[in-house]
Amino acid sequence: MNNTRKQLDRAQRESILGWGLILPAATIIGLLVLYPIIYNIYLSFFDTSLSGNNTFIGLRNYENVLFDPEFWKAVWTTLIYVVFTTVGTTVFGLIVALVMNKEFPLRGLVRSLLLLPYVAPVISVVFAWKFIFDPVNGLFMDLTVEKLGIFTERFNLIGTPSAAIWVTIIFSIWRNFPFTYLMILSRLQAIDKNLYEAADIDGCGGWSKFRFITLPEVYFVVGSIVLLRVIWNFNKFEDIFLLADNVEVLSVYTYFKAFTGSMEMGQGSSLAVIQFVLLIGFIIYYVKKVLKW
Amino acid sequence: MKKSVIFLLVSVFALLPLTYVFAEGQQEAAESEVVEFDFWTTQTQSDRQSTIQVLIDTYTTLYPNVKINLVPVDENDMVSNVQTGAMSGTLPAMIEGSADMHVSFGVEGIIDTDATMDVIEQVGKSNFYEGPLKMLESADGGSYYGVPYHGWIQGIWYRADWFEEAGLEPPTTWDAIAKAAKYFYKPDENQYGILVGTKAESYAEQCFTPFAMSNNAGLFDSDGNLIFNSPEMKEAVEFYGELAKYNPPGPQTWRARDYYLQGKMAMFFYSTYIMDDLALAEVAQGSLTSENFENLKGTSFDPDLVKNTRMAPIVSNDSDAGFGTVVSFTFLNQEDKRITEAASKFVAYLYTQNAYITWLHMAPGGMNPMIRGIAENARFQNDPKGIFKNYGPEKMAEIIDGLNNIESFGIVEGQVIEAASTVTAQQIIPKMLYSITQEGEDVDAAMAMAEEEMEKLLK
Amino acid sequence: MVKSKNISRKIGFYALVFFIVLFAIFPFIQMVSMSLKYQWDWGNPSLIPTQINIEAYKELLNIGQAEKNIPDSIKDLLDNTPDLTKDQRKAIIDKYKDSGNVFPFLKYFGNSLVLSLTAAFLSLCLSIFGAYSFSRLKYSGQSTIQRGVLFVYMFGGILLLIPLYKMASNLGLLSSQTGTFIALLVIYLVQTLPVSLYMLGNFFRTIPYSIEEAAMIEGSSRLGTIVRIIIPLSISSIVTVFIYSFMIAWNEYLYASIFLKGYTDIYTLPMGLRSLFVSKNAIWDRIMAASMLTAMPVIALFMTIQKNLVGGLSSGGVKG
Repeated sequence: MNNTRKQLDRAQRESILGWGLILPAATIIGLLVLYPIIYNIYLSFFDTSLSGNNTFIGLRNYENVLFDPEFWKAVWTTLIYVVFTTVGTTVFGLIVALVMNKEFPLRGLVRSLLLLPYVAPVISVVFAWKFIFDPVNGLFMDLTVEKLGIFTERFNLIGTPSAAIWVTIIFSIWRNFPFTYLMILSRLQAIDKNLYEAADIDGCGGWSKFRFITLPEVYFVVGSIVLLRVIWNFNKFEDIFLLADNVEVLSVYTYFKAFTGSMEMGQGSSLAVIQFVLLIGFIIYYVKKVLKW
Repeated sequence: MKKSVIFLLVSVFALLPLTYVFAEGQQEAAESEVVEFDFWTTQTQSDRQSTIQVLIDTYTTLYPNVKINLVPVDENDMVSNVQTGAMSGTLPAMIEGSADMHVSFGVEGIIDTDATMDVIEQVGKSNFYEGPLKMLESADGGSYYGVPYHGWIQGIWYRADWFEEAGLEPPTTWDAIAKAAKYFYKPDENQYGILVGTKAESYAEQCFTPFAMSNNAGLFDSDGNLIFNSPEMKEAVEFYGELAKYNPPGPQTWRARDYYLQGKMAMFFYSTYIMDDLALAEVAQGSLTSENFENLKGTSFDPDLVKNTRMAPIVSNDSDAGFGTVVSFTFLNQEDKRITEAASKFVAYLYTQNAYITWLHMAPGGMNPMIRGIAENARFQNDPKGIFKNYGPEKMAEIIDGLNNIESFGIVEGQVIEAASTVTAQQIIPKMLYSITQEGEDVDAAMAMAEEEMEKLLK
Repeated sequence: MVKSKNISRKIGFYALVFFIVLFAIFPFIQMVSMSLKYQWDWGNPSLIPTQINIEAYKELLNIGQAEKNIPDSIKDLLDNTPDLTKDQRKAIIDKYKDSGNVFPFLKYFGNSLVLSLTAAFLSLCLSIFGAYSFSRLKYSGQSTIQRGVLFVYMFGGILLLIPLYKMASNLGLLSSQTGTFIALLVIYLVQTLPVSLYMLGNFFRTIPYSIEEAAMIEGSSRLGTIVRIIIPLSISSIVTVFIYSFMIAWNEYLYASIFLKGYTDIYTLPMGLRSLFVSKNAIWDRIMAASMLTAMPVIALFMTIQKNLVGGLSSGGVKG
């Protein structure tokens, strides 16, 4: 009797303590993440004027957005961006992880160098990227036109939206592959070496070892990375805007709508809501079908 | 021991922002009786900012109850920053920027025209050159949306030695410009004919305006009716599109003048500010040649570049047209009248000869006086970089004359058309030029779209 | 036969390593190269400067710039202002000598440092206790919180920009410099909080309960065990999380660009770098040197924790 009361007390105490410890963090997150999401939905039904007076206009913002061909173009650009960056980053990250899983001299140094793209501020690397693709002075044009003769004439890769998107995709792969490879590598290192030895005894080649041992082992890590990558790249702004602001993915499109020209914050909000809904839809689908949670 | 170190670190981190904020708070408290205001300037170069800061410091030392915060704002960001400022209630008391922009702010009704009038009267209305002042007048006359302070004209700067060698006429007429641009366009050798603005920034409109003007094409007639979509305008747009083919690849803006300095381009549109930049380049070269770097020959280093650079200030076709910009001061409405009063007193100080010449000498050639009697002043002509001596008083007279005769879409037969400034501020023409030259949009379609945008604005 | 196949395999392998490293660091090589070139050398595509120029670095770090010449126009101005006393004149001149930094690196550096350290530190404090709560205590709602953390950690950036800006503007924070600074600080805190919570939570779960129980039997309270057992045991993860949060705040650009408009005194490094690029001070050697200087601190930090990072990342999932 005495004992159970004590235990009850303990459970209660634990509960109080638990809530007490999480409360500061939860309050801040509630105020600055959850509330803004709701406030954003609220704003999306208003015409926000610069003087601060909001007028309720129902679904008009959504109408304006959905009937704007620019919006659909932005959706399409976003799709291309997300698909290619995700696939590119994952495949390249996997290759690098496989390479880095082998012992070789100077591996520590190589490992450090490979971190650079991931940790440097975006703003500090975009200018170098811009310069590489400068049509007149950049190295890329010098190499492909003068030295190798791949292209017959110089052109402005970043200035042309249809070409610039590929630059932003490569840029994104460059920036994010270190993260992907590190995640996969740490999984690779946990694979039981005996599995490979057993496969050697069975006379399996390199490919089939990869196909039947490595791949299943990293399946879930890769699955989660892909999910995260899609979510992050779907919302990505800086990596695109700072390198090539003519590649109008949804986030850049929203930014231009809400913070330049006549500053249509209401329409911007409705765009954010749409983006939000698309994302949630994707996550639910993906988690059910691919990760089978 | 270890614990106390950790504790110390923890408290330092925790207190860091507090002290930071506290220090600022204290400052604010101590100076509460002082009138404080923001001054936004489009002079974003740091050396110019430090000169303006000296002017501010001198003034505030003389009048210690004023505090002026200088904030540099890029010209392309000014309109949106003013809008954000209006939203968060942080509009500056005064702005230094292009006259067009100030007129468009005036149309929105956020300018304190009493304050501008006050300054004009203090300086003396008859002391101003008429042309620039006219550009800032309200359509109903009588009030002004800004006070002209300095100005520049624009022209085509070109390699006189290349032109001579090729036997080409200086680029002053449409034909001569097109011919030379085509002649020097050698993309295989990484050399380009001309630089005209094709990015959707104000530089594009600056390059385009003289072509439209010289073809007698305007945005509005003298009654304020939109006449943008005219055969003359279409001709000018088509010609501009043709020139853009001899540009360096892709959308370009003033930044591409680098290519000229590297000897990879024959002509480029630029304001008289380049005189200052070229002088800087010359100084940089001087420091190099003096240390006899013989091994530098064969790189893109050209010691004679400055000497071989000339300017053609006028574009001629059906008529002659020059282009320039008047930079003015204006005052945005403030709740506290004392602030505007303090700002207008400060601007009046900037017109005193002593302060004025100091300001203009920040960029000799780029900043030219707007009131009479300065250009002839001996101290003014003796600029720190020797540019006026270099180009001679005649060139300077030509520039000032050009300023007094600047043509813009905003003045038609002596009538001020306010709407033209709004069109400029919204960068409708640069966007149209971008879509034509870069996205291959059909000229008629692009012009129709631009016209639609303009009509929307006029409502 | 077998041997030569091995050798060509080895060569292929090293070529692959070389290619990967080159891909990763090439833009940095370009950056260093441009930062060391003279203006007349920009048109030259070679990565090796014809002549080394370290002026840009000296200028940005304010080394050897002390004897700045006072232009005649400024001397004239002061000479022709008779009301100034000698001391006032000197004060103005001294201030002029100190100004004119193309890129006040040290000032921006200080702003970024204060902002990032504070945000990362506060976020660490909150998340140590928060993560302990949902990873080691059992109570109703615990799993909801755990999932909630994962959820919010996916939404940030552009999705919250408009409401947060509107909220800060409605509260009147944006009309003063101090208010803006605090608003940005809180936003950086909330941006790093979910990541910290998530990473630390995953790590705390790996600590055996028996250690904690032993301490509690000896009479230690829950909070006591956090301070005495949990924190020392996971100090390397805590450092990793701290540096990680620091990096997020240090590198942040989007919010800074919207919130800091007009307040040049509290510009962060990324914001300062951007304004350098759009200004007419934008000369390639300066931009590249400034880029290098902006990237250096985080690069240096990460090099030092490189070994811990692999573990830290894999337990986290982290932000990208």
